[in-house]
Amino acid sequence: MKLPISWLNEFVDVSDIPLEVLEDKFLNIGFEVEDVIYFGKNIDKVVVGEIKSIRPNENSDKLKVCELDVGRKDLVIIVTGASNVSEGDRVPVALDGADLPDKHITACPLRGVMSYGMLCSGSELGIDDNIIAGAEVNGILILPKDAPIGEDIKKYLGIDEYILDISVTANRADCQSVYGLAREIAVGLDRPVKAPDIHYECEKFSNEKTPKVFIDAPEICTRYTGRIITNVTNDKSPYWMRKRLLMCGIRPKNVAVDITNYVLLEVGQPLHAFDISFIEGNIHVRKALKNEKIKALNGEEYSLDENMLVIADDKKSLAIAGVMGGEYSGINDRTSAIFLESARFAKQSIRNTSRKLGLMSDSSLRYERGVDYDSIDIGRERALNLFYSLHVGKIADYVQNVATLKPEKKNIVTSAKEISALLGIEIPQKDIVRILKSLNFSVKSQNDKLTIEAPLYREDIDNYTDIAEEVIRFYGYDKLDSTLMASSRVSVGARSKENQFINTLKQRLCALGCYEIINFSFISEKACDMLNVPDDSDLRNIVKIRNPLGEEQSVMRTQLVSSMLNTIALNQSRKNTEARLFEQSKTFFAAENDLPYEREELCVGIYGENEEFFALKGIVESVMSVIGADYTIARSQAHYLHPGISADIIIDGKLSGRFGKIHPKVAKNFKVKNNVFLFELYLSEIDFSENIVKYKELPKYHSVDRDLAFVVSDEVSVGDMLNEIKSVGGKLVEKVVLFDIYRGEVIPEGKYSAAFSIKIQPYERTLTDEEIAKITDDIIKSLSHKFNAVLREQ
Amino acid sequence: MEKKIEGIVKLYISEIDKAETSGDLIELKVKLFGKNGELTSLMKQLKDVPESQRPLMGKAVNEAREALEEKITAKLKKTEDEEQHQRLMKEKIDITIPAKTSVVGNLHPLNLTRQKIEDFFISMGFEICSSPEIEFVKYNFDMLNIPHDHPSRDIQDTFYIRDDIVLRTQTSAGQVRLMEKKKPPIKMLSPGRVYRPDEVDATHTPCFHQVEGLVVDKNITMSDLKGVLEAFAKKFFNENTKIRFRPSYFPFTEPSVEVDASCSGCGGRGCRICKNTGWIEILGAGMVNRNVLSACGIDPDEYSGFAFGMGLDRITSIIHGITDARVPFEGDIRFLKQFNNQEN
Repeated sequence: MKLPISWLNEFVDVSDIPLEVLEDKFLNIGFEVEDVIYFGKNIDKVVVGEIKSIRPNENSDKLKVCELDVGRKDLVIIVTGASNVSEGDRVPVALDGADLPDKHITACPLRGVMSYGMLCSGSELGIDDNIIAGAEVNGILILPKDAPIGEDIKKYLGIDEYILDISVTANRADCQSVYGLAREIAVGLDRPVKAPDIHYECEKFSNEKTPKVFIDAPEICTRYTGRIITNVTNDKSPYWMRKRLLMCGIRPKNVAVDITNYVLLEVGQPLHAFDISFIEGNIHVRKALKNEKIKALNGEEYSLDENMLVIADDKKSLAIAGVMGGEYSGINDRTSAIFLESARFAKQSIRNTSRKLGLMSDSSLRYERGVDYDSIDIGRERALNLFYSLHVGKIADYVQNVATLKPEKKNIVTSAKEISALLGIEIPQKDIVRILKSLNFSVKSQNDKLTIEAPLYREDIDNYTDIAEEVIRFYGYDKLDSTLMASSRVSVGARSKENQFINTLKQRLCALGCYEIINFSFISEKACDMLNVPDDSDLRNIVKIRNPLGEEQSVMRTQLVSSMLNTIALNQSRKNTEARLFEQSKTFFAAENDLPYEREELCVGIYGENEEFFALKGIVESVMSVIGADYTIARSQAHYLHPGISADIIIDGKLSGRFGKIHPKVAKNFKVKNNVFLFELYLSEIDFSENIVKYKELPKYHSVDRDLAFVVSDEVSVGDMLNEIKSVGGKLVEKVVLFDIYRGEVIPEGKYSAAFSIKIQPYERTLTDEEIAKITDDIIKSLSHKFNAVLREQ
Repeated sequence: MEKKIEGIVKLYISEIDKAETSGDLIELKVKLFGKNGELTSLMKQLKDVPESQRPLMGKAVNEAREALEEKITAKLKKTEDEEQHQRLMKEKIDITIPAKTSVVGNLHPLNLTRQKIEDFFISMGFEICSSPEIEFVKYNFDMLNIPHDHPSRDIQDTFYIRDDIVLRTQTSAGQVRLMEKKKPPIKMLSPGRVYRPDEVDATHTPCFHQVEGLVVDKNITMSDLKGVLEAFAKKFFNENTKIRFRPSYFPFTEPSVEVDASCSGCGGRGCRICKNTGWIEILGAGMVNRNVLSACGIDPDEYSGFAFGMGLDRITSIIHGITDARVPFEGDIRFLKQFNNQEN
């Protein structure tokens, strides 16, 4: 909301208040000044001057040498090429050192004659005919004869002006106007506010053709008023009005339209002026017919529907109510009589219509915020005052006022005690009453009881908490105490178990050199295809967004892998040679007739020259050790992983995670280089009961290490052998480590050698050599029996 | 014999003084105290000394031995220390050669901030809660007193899955779920991800994060809100941080305020971070609207409460001076590494 200071000053005297103070005052009562705009443009050292003499420049046919009176002791000499100046003219003079919007002026010789400045045209000053007549002339701007010599041109043109750009919260539709904000700041400054001038005189008007107003859609239009102005001369509006419209970003048109816009800005009431000669019969405020066409004032044709409201006469629609007039409503310089509408339309209806048609106007924007019952009258009366006082036409004594629903006044009963209890500080009743009265609330006090009635324009006021807000807004939030919930019972603060567990997991990942990333939750619908996911996979059970920002963000992700691959691709494209990354976030699966299933997941992605499957497996095992659940691994069926270099993590027979090398096809789809390894863990599927570690007494007896190497067929896995050694060795085998795998000359084709180091740890007594030999013999026998493993002699 | 002793002492003191290495000194030691050492043989000769002179001579020899021994030992220790030092200095390395680092990862800066915030409110007795990211319109709007014609419900401002299901636009949705389930006293903090259809640019992402706080109990006041937020700001920024309330509007609180913290970059004097105002907007807050309490089955005449919500992404950006909202979502390892001060 743009607020020119001079306009505000018409309602509250702020002339002695510095800008920063005014900004602060607005801020303190809830209106943030987002910007302070200077309307004066970058103009400095430009004054009004009178041309005293003109003589030709002897060295040039085109240049003239002027002597000017700029209100100083000496005349100033300026050389100009302009042809439209004569002696006695008053003109804008840019002196030596002056600034104009597009240039800086310094004294310099022109064809041998020193010129101490420049005479300015309107365009050089950055202004047009809306600021002063003659500004658009091709040549120097000739000012009126009464322009005071030596006066700063900005002051003379009335453009030395600051405009506050104020943000008004959604609940304060009543402050979307100069007058509305004036009412508020007046209370903040404790100064009186002046009401808008609504004086005018009516003339008898008799014309059988006067339209009557009928409201056919009372749920959308709760009140409609109309007046008629006759004998209209629809010229240009005065400069002061045009300037103010410009300051607020509205192009001036003609005085009738300008008045409606001016009133919209000043008191917040949208008005519409109809040319009465187009109106056939009566005015009907009705819903549009299906596919009813109307050509709006912007020249476009719109096709309406039954939910939209139009202003129509007996034969045709004249305007899209509250949004824009139609071709049969336009005001132009031939208009001789005006039907002036001031009405109230439901904000939701206006917004729907405006959105559906893709048509917005200052009026529709204002209606969307909500127009109150009172401003219909103030707006209309103020407009009539302007039509009258600017001699635009005669105000007819014709009045149409159709109201279908009068708003009820709400009584709020409260007390200083109740208000103080909510705020936490004692506020004396007399201060409460004073503040509310200055805000035009009516307050009746009966002992401790306050009965309060808000003015009609305060539709946001509902109960005592709203009253408390009004009071503290002006009493001052800085007067609140800082207390620490003394009345509340002490409670135990904590993270949820799941949350705590996830934090522990993340700590472990950081220790493993992984960095956390965060991606958006929505991805491309094509992600599943890019991941090679089969049609019947659960991962295709996606939640689609109805109104996505684009295809790339159109569905909620069912996996974190595709986002991880995109992140890796970005890193690789930026020549980041290696990285370990993880993301912990939710995935979403569609559910019938319910909210989607949200699953907490973890995804680790590593890439780089030194990364390999077993490095990833190290991360997996470390993470799984935090979880503490018993798990097994099996060859994975995941379609986005390398079929030979990937594994599923199974807990209690349930698929709980996956890890492995990226499938080369998928790598290609995501434009990542091949050496990428992924690990997914479905955290919501895992039971994280806290594992309390039980202390095991440290052994008192020496352990014995035995190394055994076996040759087995490629079909036998190391894991199977490890498990067998542990199971045969029982409690005494504390640790088995694979320390070598060998394939080569001495080993037959299709076989390999695996060497294990076995740590035998007795707890009760030292073992004899025979006992130790028995353990190793049992292991050798068992492996030979089960896997056809042959012990390699040392 | 006396002369002999004197001669030995004199000779060896000058020998010891002349000795340069520990080897020289050990050699002298052998020459003096060895099996055939000069003092050893003098000791042996004592038995040939007449009985009357023996104690005197014995004393003289012993004194000479002690003096020489002490001198040798002292010098030997000094020489050995020097020699070891020289040996060690030959192993000297260039200590400015870059370290062999153990790679340690780090949390995303957003979650570092989030943990810091959580830790403070846990210390104040708040429980950390979470709620669905895809939410019923009922919880995201209706029960939060957001009017049916409120623009935030438009498809320009909310992602829709179905007419009655949206991607939550605020963590406040979780407030309502909690209040429906749990009766006061309630002190909860609900951090999480929220969604709004803003095109990605330097200041907007369609997916961002909020931390929502809620307290409901008997006689909770707006001064309590101020006290708690002030304590938070002091802990989170620094001891000198001040806060200020500005009137504002949210449908789910009344009265509503925007809360500014004095800029920790300049101490409130005005700088680039605070756009020369001395204040930084950190959150929105207010007293829980009576309609919201009622909708959740909590009697607004018996209980009152406050709620606040802050933008995690924004606060993180302010603290770390991140000027582009897109960067934290890119996952560039060079960005991530900055937050544990490791070199790229």
